[in-house]
Amino acid sequence: MKTTAAEILREYGPFSGVDAVHGVTFDGQHVWFASGDRLNALDPAGGQVARSIDVPAHAGTAFDGRHLFQIAEDRILKIDPESGQVLASIPAPGQGGDSGMAWAEGSLWVGQHRGRKIHQVDPETGTILRTIESDRVVTGVTWVDGALWHGTWEGEDSDVRRIDPETGAVLAAIEMPAGMGVSGLEADGGDRFFCGGGKSGRVRAIRRPAGSSGTGGR
Amino acid sequence: MDSLITAAARALAAGDPLAALKRVALRDDAPALALRGIAMAQLGDLARAKVLLRRAARAFGPREAVARARCVVAEAEIALVSRDLGWPARALDAARAILLAHGDHVNAAQARHIEARRLLLIGRLDAAEERLGEPAPLPLPPALLAAREMVLAGIALRRLRTGPARAALERAGQAARDADIPALTAEVAAAASVLHRPAARLIAGGQARPLLLAAVEAVLASDALVVDACRHVVRDAGVVVSLATRPVLFALARALAEAWPGDVSRDRLVRLAFGAKVADESHRARLRVEIGRLRAALRAQATLRATSQGFALAPRRASEVVVLARPVEEAHAGVLAFLADGEAWSSSALALALGTSQRTVQRALDELAAAGKAQAFGHGRARRWVTPPVPGFTTTLLLPGPLPGG
Repeated sequence: MKTTAAEILREYGPFSGVDAVHGVTFDGQHVWFASGDRLNALDPAGGQVARSIDVPAHAGTAFDGRHLFQIAEDRILKIDPESGQVLASIPAPGQGGDSGMAWAEGSLWVGQHRGRKIHQVDPETGTILRTIESDRVVTGVTWVDGALWHGTWEGEDSDVRRIDPETGAVLAAIEMPAGMGVSGLEADGGDRFFCGGGKSGRVRAIRRPAGSSGTGGR
Repeated sequence: MDSLITAAARALAAGDPLAALKRVALRDDAPALALRGIAMAQLGDLARAKVLLRRAARAFGPREAVARARCVVAEAEIALVSRDLGWPARALDAARAILLAHGDHVNAAQARHIEARRLLLIGRLDAAEERLGEPAPLPLPPALLAAREMVLAGIALRRLRTGPARAALERAGQAARDADIPALTAEVAAAASVLHRPAARLIAGGQARPLLLAAVEAVLASDALVVDACRHVVRDAGVVVSLATRPVLFALARALAEAWPGDVSRDRLVRLAFGAKVADESHRARLRVEIGRLRAALRAQATLRATSQGFALAPRRASEVVVLARPVEEAHAGVLAFLADGEAWSSSALALALGTSQRTVQRALDELAAAGKAQAFGHGRARRWVTPPVPGFTTTLLLPGPLPGG
């Protein structure tokens, strides 16, 4: 396993009316982050919140190319980003113990916080297709270049780690500086990860290590 | 944090503990236990809250030292509010050190305030003040600031320093309004009312008049010889002589002080000090002995002059003699005199000091408690008694958020 220290590229926030960031995703233009009772669209170049959607937003956020998915209490809401309307909802696999969420290859990948698991979920029905075990509390999940990454934040220790989607083995870890935690994770497709900063109310961009693509197949 | 914990924590922060409970009622993981504990404390079930917080502290993992420390602080506050002195101060101290080391200055300050409130409760004023004196590195949130000023006011009142007490209560009131917690504002107002109620009666020259606390302070600071029937001491500018364990001597001193500059007849002194209807020779002999003892006790402050009728008091330094009494003379004045020193007394210690049986003291304490003039905390042999009210004990719990940052 390769461990590196996180390189903070940029810090966004604090934002007015935001006391904590619970989930992040990226739609190619805006970074959406969940802040309890709304989803906020952050322009990563300007650093401003362009608009927001009033919707319960207690944990992970994901984007499938057309819709936003948002964990609220023990449900996953499917939201039209244009109108802000909730189009559908499915039960969350962790029954409310859910934390991070990502979309990849037709499935939702939902981190179960203290359950230390990542569930692959059918986005139409909420059926659990399979479960990956981690050895740490899971706070954010993302897929990029065929590699599965998740955030961990246990007490004072937090990192972003790449795990083997078959075995759960840790392949690489990026350690966050002391006092900074990851409460949501999304890759922008380039060399950045966006990380939610929990109660700091901030979103941080950190560098994604080069040559960290996955083994393919996904 | 996970989604339901986030939702429950938001409900709790918004002042809706029932909504918080609804979301985590069936969960037994550490953050859920902690949230349930805080919610139960806010709903007033302190016993259940304590159990839940203790379980939460045990359930947090080895990497979650801060979350565990916050649980310890919350449990300590519940123990304090329920006057349970069995609380191990060492655990709170350790929790405070952990919070400080991890930069959680607000909750570290909260832990320090709880320690100071406990020290005030057991009458260790200097230690309480010292604990509060450690400067906080950050501006405190208003609710915590209000609690801190309440403790400072409590210390100042116990020391009869009304100026600093009033200033602290004013600052506490402002902070409580800033915090926008009506219960806290009401509590500060109730504490401040002690400054506007008669705290004692002054008996001088055959006249009695009620005194506010500030006037009591002024009398004690004056150059009069004060026979203080609230605390059973005789004091002047130089010396304080306690007669709390010598009720006969105190009764004589008070009778002589009330008559000053006149004298008091032997018959009257015998009646007052021994409760005898008619003074016979043996009473007169006993009076001579007790007067001799009082002379010895007050030697630095006054002389006792024999007159044709009886005895008169003559202060050595003081320009006048006054008696300070409780606003209303009431039963069990002896017990109240001991409690007025601000210490926490056990009933056995009171019985020893008063030279009476523990049963008698217990009966007196129960009556005083029923009348709201005494308050007990602790259980069994650890039970201690104090006089209320002492500001500094907000019943409005200011529990720290016991959740990990994520």
